[in-house]
Amino acid sequence: MLRYIIRRMLWLMFVLLGLCAITFILSRVVPGDPATAYLGPRAKAEQVEMVRIQLGLDKPLYTQFFYYLRDLSRGNLGESLRTHRPVMVGIIDHLPASLELMFSAIFVALLVGIPLGVISAKKENTLVDHLIRLFSVADVSLPSFWLAMIFQIVFFRWLGLFPIGGRIDTVVGLISPIEKITGFYVLDALITGNWPAFTSVLSHLVLPTITLACFSMGLIARMTRSTMLEVLREDYITTARAVGVSEKEILFLQALKNAMGPTITTAGLSFAFMLTATLYIELIFFWPGIGSYITKAIFLNDYPVIMGVTMLMALFYVVVNLIVDILIAVFDPRIRLG
Amino acid sequence: MKNKFKLNFIIVLLAFVFMVFSALPGQAAKLPKEILVFASVDSVTTWDPSASYSTEATYMPNIYETLIWVAPPGSDKAFEPGLAERWEASSDGLTWTFYLRKGVKFHDGGMLTAKAVKDSIERTMKMGKGAAFIFEPVKEIKLIDDYTVQFSLKSAAPFDRIAASANAAWIISPNAVNKDRKWFDEGHEAGCGPYVMESYKPDEEIIFKKFDQYWKGWKKAHFERIVVKIVKEGTVAEQMLESGVADVASRVPTESSRTFDTKACCERLVGPSFINYYLHLNTAKFPFDNKLIRQAVSYAIPYEDIIEISAAGLGRQAVGPVPYGQFGHDDSLHQYTHNLDKAKKLMAEAGHPNGIKDTLTFTYAAENDVEKAFAPLIKEELAKIGINVEIRPMIWTAQWELMKGGPEKAHHLAAVMWWPTFSDPYETLYSLWHVEKKPYWNFAYYKNPDFDKMILTAYSTPDGDKAQMLYANAQKMLIEDAPSIYLFDVELPVFKRKELKGYVINPNYPRVPFWYNMYKE
Repeated sequence: MLRYIIRRMLWLMFVLLGLCAITFILSRVVPGDPATAYLGPRAKAEQVEMVRIQLGLDKPLYTQFFYYLRDLSRGNLGESLRTHRPVMVGIIDHLPASLELMFSAIFVALLVGIPLGVISAKKENTLVDHLIRLFSVADVSLPSFWLAMIFQIVFFRWLGLFPIGGRIDTVVGLISPIEKITGFYVLDALITGNWPAFTSVLSHLVLPTITLACFSMGLIARMTRSTMLEVLREDYITTARAVGVSEKEILFLQALKNAMGPTITTAGLSFAFMLTATLYIELIFFWPGIGSYITKAIFLNDYPVIMGVTMLMALFYVVVNLIVDILIAVFDPRIRLG
Repeated sequence: MKNKFKLNFIIVLLAFVFMVFSALPGQAAKLPKEILVFASVDSVTTWDPSASYSTEATYMPNIYETLIWVAPPGSDKAFEPGLAERWEASSDGLTWTFYLRKGVKFHDGGMLTAKAVKDSIERTMKMGKGAAFIFEPVKEIKLIDDYTVQFSLKSAAPFDRIAASANAAWIISPNAVNKDRKWFDEGHEAGCGPYVMESYKPDEEIIFKKFDQYWKGWKKAHFERIVVKIVKEGTVAEQMLESGVADVASRVPTESSRTFDTKACCERLVGPSFINYYLHLNTAKFPFDNKLIRQAVSYAIPYEDIIEISAAGLGRQAVGPVPYGQFGHDDSLHQYTHNLDKAKKLMAEAGHPNGIKDTLTFTYAAENDVEKAFAPLIKEELAKIGINVEIRPMIWTAQWELMKGGPEKAHHLAAVMWWPTFSDPYETLYSLWHVEKKPYWNFAYYKNPDFDKMILTAYSTPDGDKAQMLYANAQKMLIEDAPSIYLFDVELPVFKRKELKGYVINPNYPRVPFWYNMYKE
């Protein structure tokens, strides 16, 4: 197992290096002078020239890339051209909000998706199965940005059940401010026993969480259904039924455990995908995560931020994949890594 | 085993149900009268008052103050006292003396003195970032006494307008004047304005509280706290306003903007701004190297449709390049109108009665919805006089790069949005039409030494009437030569709940909500 992880980590280095090179070249061939972006729209030509030298933009592209890699190896992702703040600080500021949303979304997706898949398999080709299929396909097919707006209209405007966006209610935030410990508001409010903030944070999580969870929920439900159907046709299930094991135990303990492999893979990939899917959901729910951070950077060609966030996403994707592989091995002893 | 599974499942389910239901009542809190919630589209690039030159300008005038302010439209005088009680200029316009208010305290306890003013402006000049260029005429800053500061200029300039700029002219506490940009960007400030920044979460929320020791005092109805929520989506801001979650918003969707006043809860305020849209014609290459064709195009533009369709009616057709309300604007100047007969006649005079064979390139900033909306309108009308254009939307930085690359490879027509840094027309006229060796902002590539000389004379004359006359003459040259088309001056809307009062729109400080004047009924 350890050898496998080391080998995967080495591969990860190559993947990141390749991605870094591609992103670097792409961000530099796009028209737009980074020195001008650094100084602002009315800077003088002489100032622009000075900043070009300061940022190393007067050097050949391969030298600039080498410098970038050197800084990257020291954990320095550079400085935002727009805000002049280190990109690492920007990411640390914005990432907890995105991760909080993603963790709650994958939790909801698993909590709803797996039982739906199991029920659907159990009730194969009945009305219940068809309804769950309709629900799952709709989850996967409906665009998240559209769903987000529909949720806002229905649950905020019409029913007044949930807030329209943000992480905490304005007044609650003023009266019971959250002390920053982890950056995850739910955890921070829990740790400090700040109950008004806790309930407010939860209510603000509901709509963006469901929006983000929908795609994964549908996918997990479909995957669970199909693998469950295969497993339910296995001989040992028939034997279990013959010896009188209850149907619920067969479904949720014996069959589901053996059907979990593909579901875990799907959930893992969905989770990694969420870091990109959350970008536009964050915009609509004015959720101050990575999406808010990178949107402005893209318009201004703030390439250190674009590259930093891209590297983060790639790293996240590869690491989640690795964890998924390990989890599958844990769930299915027949699989040996290495 | 079976019971353990059941128990686990029930615990997880109950926890989920608890979470959802405990979340339900959390959002109904009504906003108290002493709190203002502003759904703002403007993020913060930097909190450093010397370097600030972006959308944080919306908040800066509530934290910092300038020596003097440009008065809002309808005022008796052009300027209002700020940190300076009074000021005077020498007859040659080379020396400007400001007499400071006594007893003004900064948020960090520092006191306003002449030295604080000198150090603030020198810090900005030394850093050379953002809009520091406005202080280019300054030769020396002298301390006459503790409360009198004097600016000596290299050449005469309207220093009152510079000192009242919405950028770079902020006075910083003496305790913070040596701090670097990093310190400010960590969420610190050092102003003496009515509101203190209490907390700042990038791209999420900024909270301000009133500064108890503000020099104007707190005798009338004012807000205790201001909560700024950064909301980029107009539809979301609109819903927040309607439901009372926000009191004021800087943007709602264009289609809602038109009918906003019909809502029972809310209203739209509209005020002038110095933001305007130009269409630059590349005078350095065919066909716009011909003045008659440029004039023909000026007559072919559907000005009224552009304002109605692209700006939801919020604008006025420009009269010359200096916007309505700004010093130097002259309503009596010639204004091109949409007149296709005249346009065709001019095309014939130019020797192209049947139009031009070449397809011309028309660039605009793709992220600008207004430009996106008016580009097809212009294309359609130009086709009627035989000029075919290919519309090329580009991200602004890319468009700018193309234009800076020189007239040969650049556009034939380019739409550009512009706003002045301070309330004198010199910056606009100099930047956009002054001869440039290497193109930087003059994207009509216009060359007219007489024009250059005239605007410089206007800028450096201490006689306001003479400067006004010279600026009018310079604009006449531009209108006659038609290197650019002055499409419209933007009127800025603000969307607010009806109970919110005291919102003053001042075009010199576009998009700035002066919270000190506001209250809820």
